[in-house]
Amino acid sequence: MQSILEIKNFTKEYSQGKKAVDNLSLSVMPGEIHGFIGHNGAGKTTTIRAVVGVMGFNKGEILIDGHSAKTEPVKCKLLTAYIPDNPDLYDYITGIQYLNYMADMFSVDRKHREERVKKYAELFGITDSLGNLISSYSHGMKQKLALIGAFLHEPKLLVLDEPFVGLDPEAAFHLKQTMHDLCNQGNAIFFSTHVLDVAEKLCDKVSIIKQGKLVISGSMETVRGSGSLEDVFMEVVENEK
Amino acid sequence: MKNRYLLLLKMQLYNLFGINRILHSHSKKEKQRSTALGGLAILILGLMVAYSTMISMGIASMGAVNILPTISALACSFITLILTFLKSSGVLIGLRDYDMVMSLPVKNSEVVLSRLTMVYLANLLISMIVVLPSVVIFGANAEAGISGNIIFLLSFLFLPVIPMIISLGLGVLISAISSRSKHKNILSLVLSTLAVLLIVAASAKTQDMNTEEILNIGILFSDMANKLYPPAGLISKAVEQQNWLYFLAFAGMSVFISAIFAGIAAHFYQKMNTAAFHPSAAKFEGKILQASSPFQAMYKREFERYFSCTIYALNSTIGMVLLLIAALLLLFVSPEALEQQSGIIGLSQMLRQVLPLVIAVFVTMTSTASASLSLEGKNRWIMCSVPVRAIDIFNAKIAVNLTVICPFVLISAALSGFKMGISLKQAILLCIVPAAYACFISVLGMYMNVKFPKYDWTSEYYAVKGGSISVLATMGTGMLSSLIPLFVCIAFQNISSLIMAATSILLSVFSFLLYRQLQRYRLYEI
Repeated sequence: MQSILEIKNFTKEYSQGKKAVDNLSLSVMPGEIHGFIGHNGAGKTTTIRAVVGVMGFNKGEILIDGHSAKTEPVKCKLLTAYIPDNPDLYDYITGIQYLNYMADMFSVDRKHREERVKKYAELFGITDSLGNLISSYSHGMKQKLALIGAFLHEPKLLVLDEPFVGLDPEAAFHLKQTMHDLCNQGNAIFFSTHVLDVAEKLCDKVSIIKQGKLVISGSMETVRGSGSLEDVFMEVVENEK
Repeated sequence: MKNRYLLLLKMQLYNLFGINRILHSHSKKEKQRSTALGGLAILILGLMVAYSTMISMGIASMGAVNILPTISALACSFITLILTFLKSSGVLIGLRDYDMVMSLPVKNSEVVLSRLTMVYLANLLISMIVVLPSVVIFGANAEAGISGNIIFLLSFLFLPVIPMIISLGLGVLISAISSRSKHKNILSLVLSTLAVLLIVAASAKTQDMNTEEILNIGILFSDMANKLYPPAGLISKAVEQQNWLYFLAFAGMSVFISAIFAGIAAHFYQKMNTAAFHPSAAKFEGKILQASSPFQAMYKREFERYFSCTIYALNSTIGMVLLLIAALLLLFVSPEALEQQSGIIGLSQMLRQVLPLVIAVFVTMTSTASASLSLEGKNRWIMCSVPVRAIDIFNAKIAVNLTVICPFVLISAALSGFKMGISLKQAILLCIVPAAYACFISVLGMYMNVKFPKYDWTSEYYAVKGGSISVLATMGTGMLSSLIPLFVCIAFQNISSLIMAATSILLSVFSFLLYRQLQRYRLYEI
């Protein structure tokens, strides 16, 4: 089976010669929720930004459903949805204008966009606020709106950077549910998080990155063994010091 | 499938003049304020069109109607060149929505084109203001035939393109050079200031030539314009000879140059932005942390903000740099020589008398405070949550403005006063008048920004320039407050000292009243 995300020997070096990520390889299969864990500054966001085509890279290859992020960036982005850790949405438009914009960008037809906007807006409880300017939204509401925008085109690969920050418990529950639904349809999710409990319960596979290098990658059962993910993470961090 | 370039453009247009906010805001107050501002914008636009029409009519009445196409082409190009350069670094690099836009299924070229189109549309407005009145006056007075008039009319669509690309190219180049430096913001500021001075010097040189040639030597003038800026010459020839080939050459040249620039910018778009967003890797060396008072801490932070944003520093310091250069130039050219060269009898004496107000004109161009609150943007929660009064925060912002103005004014006043050999009374006025204006423009800038903050910007440019009401209102009011007394002093030279003293007192009272108003605000209300 072809992986949905394939990162091969990915290296990102900045102009001063500092390597943010060094020779990282991992893959995400269809139907898989893959957690990407590491402390602050480990290289998670750099990897994610390269995967979603926001940032170029020096060495290696990133393939999304077999397409190269380097040579076919638009094709890759059409298959992907990305939500950064702090989604900076346009304050001067309304929620529904934002969703329409995203649907237009990903060429979602009218029938599907109406269906999905209705479904997800109700699920996340922001239907009544869609006509308001985004500037009037709380942080959590903006996060929910960004999530709905990401689900509109049912992406093959959903990339999330710290998706649970700022969400209320109900929204977090619905997000987890929607993530499972998306994966059950054969899509995949690659997300970074610091909340190890959530990662442990939610992920099928997990990768731990430290100082730009991949330390461990594998199925949740294999990685945590008889302990907890937190134990493994702390052990990795302490051992490598 | 919708064209993604148009979708990107539409999203940017939503923010133009805050139209979408007016349409969808539920706040009555915001709607009323937006309507009032819209009315004000239309009024200013009308005044600018009237001014442009008057100049064109003046040229026509002097019998030089045939050089209108060249004059408007040059004027439009220079205005575009300067205005675009001042915003160049915030157009393509370092925009806040970069991550969001780049993660969408769009090509780099579509993103770059949509950004360039927005700049083009803004410049098109300038082109319309400068060129269209000339077209009407030219059509009514010159005998250029239908083709000549149509060519002149169509030229407004293409005139902003080449200067816009030159300025953007220069801005991108400066960003690229500075991004390799440890002190990239300061280097960028120095290079940008030099570039603006170069543009202003070139513009002044051309204007000098215009006044000499404008009335009698139309053909020679066209040749000169041709040499200085060939595209303007092409338009002039196209209109004069009713030659569509020249026009097509000009239009083709504009499109070709912008296509090449767009291609290059699209190719390096990701690289440029990655470099801009990546912080320089300075290692913390465990220096001993210094304790400061809250005011000192805020003052220091304000200063860091000032140097961290090239557009902000450049826009609010250029007046002071020009003042210093004028004072330095005065060291080499005596006022008497100036009087002889210009042929204006009594110029040196007049300059001596109105010198404090001349310096004040430059001072009123300088207001860091008018954008300082807007620049807090999404970080304004920090200032709202620190345990200090709102007025303490305003004080820090006002203090930065005074710090920027003071050294320039002191040096320039000392240099020019010394060179001109002023009397004691004039020396006292030279201290008092600029000081009163410095206080006034600082407090006024702060007040305007409190009244018209703009936090929802996608680029710092929009907080500092593009449509920032507080900056425009401060500059406009400030300039009027210095120019009106200056002209009054020139008209009534025998009582100029009295006028300047009275103006200073009046401004000090205004500053005090505005400051009292500022004391009443609470940060979370702004």
